[in-house]
Amino acid sequence: MTTNSLAPIANLLQQHRVAICDEWLNDIMRIWEHSHAGLVDKEEVSRQANDFLKELAVFFNSHSGEAPAEISTNSPFGKIACELSIERAKKGFKPADTAQYIITLKNVLTRHFLRTYSETPVDLALYLRVMNDMLDRISLLTFEMYVETRERIIAQQSLSLSELSTPIILLWNNVLLLPLVGVIDTVRARQFTERLLEAITRYEANVTIIDVTGVPVFDTSVARHFMKVIDAAQLLGSRIVMTGISPEGAQTLTKLGINFSNIISRATLRSGLAEALLLVGRRIELIGGVRP
Amino acid sequence: MREMIDPERVLIRDSTDIVRARAVARQVANQIGFTLADQTRLATAVSELTRNIVQYAGEGVCEIADASGEEEIRLRIIVEDNGPGIDDIDRAMKDGYSTGGGLGVGLPGTRRLMDDFAIESSPGCTRVSIALVRRRV
Repeated sequence: MTTNSLAPIANLLQQHRVAICDEWLNDIMRIWEHSHAGLVDKEEVSRQANDFLKELAVFFNSHSGEAPAEISTNSPFGKIACELSIERAKKGFKPADTAQYIITLKNVLTRHFLRTYSETPVDLALYLRVMNDMLDRISLLTFEMYVETRERIIAQQSLSLSELSTPIILLWNNVLLLPLVGVIDTVRARQFTERLLEAITRYEANVTIIDVTGVPVFDTSVARHFMKVIDAAQLLGSRIVMTGISPEGAQTLTKLGINFSNIISRATLRSGLAEALLLVGRRIELIGGVRP
Repeated sequence: MREMIDPERVLIRDSTDIVRARAVARQVANQIGFTLADQTRLATAVSELTRNIVQYAGEGVCEIADASGEEEIRLRIIVEDNGPGIDDIDRAMKDGYSTGGGLGVGLPGTRRLMDDFAIESSPGCTRVSIALVRRRV
């Protein structure tokens, strides 16, 4: 094919670019200002919209025939679509917002096409179809990128959370501290159990303080995890001192019917520490021999 | 007239939904004037019931509603699923009975934690309704 049947689209995009860009931005900003006030940088969006339209024109210029080729993430055009989708995902936009972005452009372009080509309905139909087809593919692409980005963010977060979730601290010779913060689920329970038992063996810990000040809800499932770790720790020769159960928590636990009779429990980490030191025959004293 | 809070429905599918359900329950309880101890009891009860859904039924719904009247403040929670149901409710309500390797105190414990407790179960529908009630002063 020598003549490019889609060149008029490219021409229109080039000639009307400023107007299209303005209308598009107006429409999209009106929607986003409600839902994402403060998150959208108008200049940034404007720059992106401009680039997007430029690439769209280039695409139609270099492309002829009816069905546009596949849009891959490697094409310059695909790259822009990905870039904006990834950015939206990182800023916490919903996938629908990015779709909205493309849909808005579609509406604006449709208006322009209708105005310019109303004399030649056959051409108009072709242009509209090709344009729609193209933007639908871009929508799909941005959606895919959005999901991928979100998944990566979530994976990163859960990785970094599990990294920092269960430190085991050697408080004093043979005394360990396991401060627990946050929701205790099966995965975390398994993780801190393994690490604690290892640490008990390595440091020959006689006493382990488990501080639960930061555990929001103490239900039977959490209790079951605790009972297991306590039993295992005691098999290895470490006594358990549990600290930080709140007054409400204590009331709830007894009502639930959970019984921690085989451990020492103290309300605060401070008294738990004193108790733990006592168990290994130490105590904290003022320098100079006066008892605190 | 005081303003009623709209009922909240939390879909329960996995363990993150348990966290969400009890956060919502805690928040509603706080809004309508329950004490911290009551909120803790409630959060624990919601945690037990919704965990049963995740463990035994796979999917269900937790509905949290303000059912207060002139005389009392009342928070009603209905936890419902379409799972296999509980074979023997009487045994399930006894301490120490569990078919899933738990401690077996979840259901009876929840009954002790709450002011109202009702359970009905048949294959395909299990529904637990609980409530916290305080007289207005």
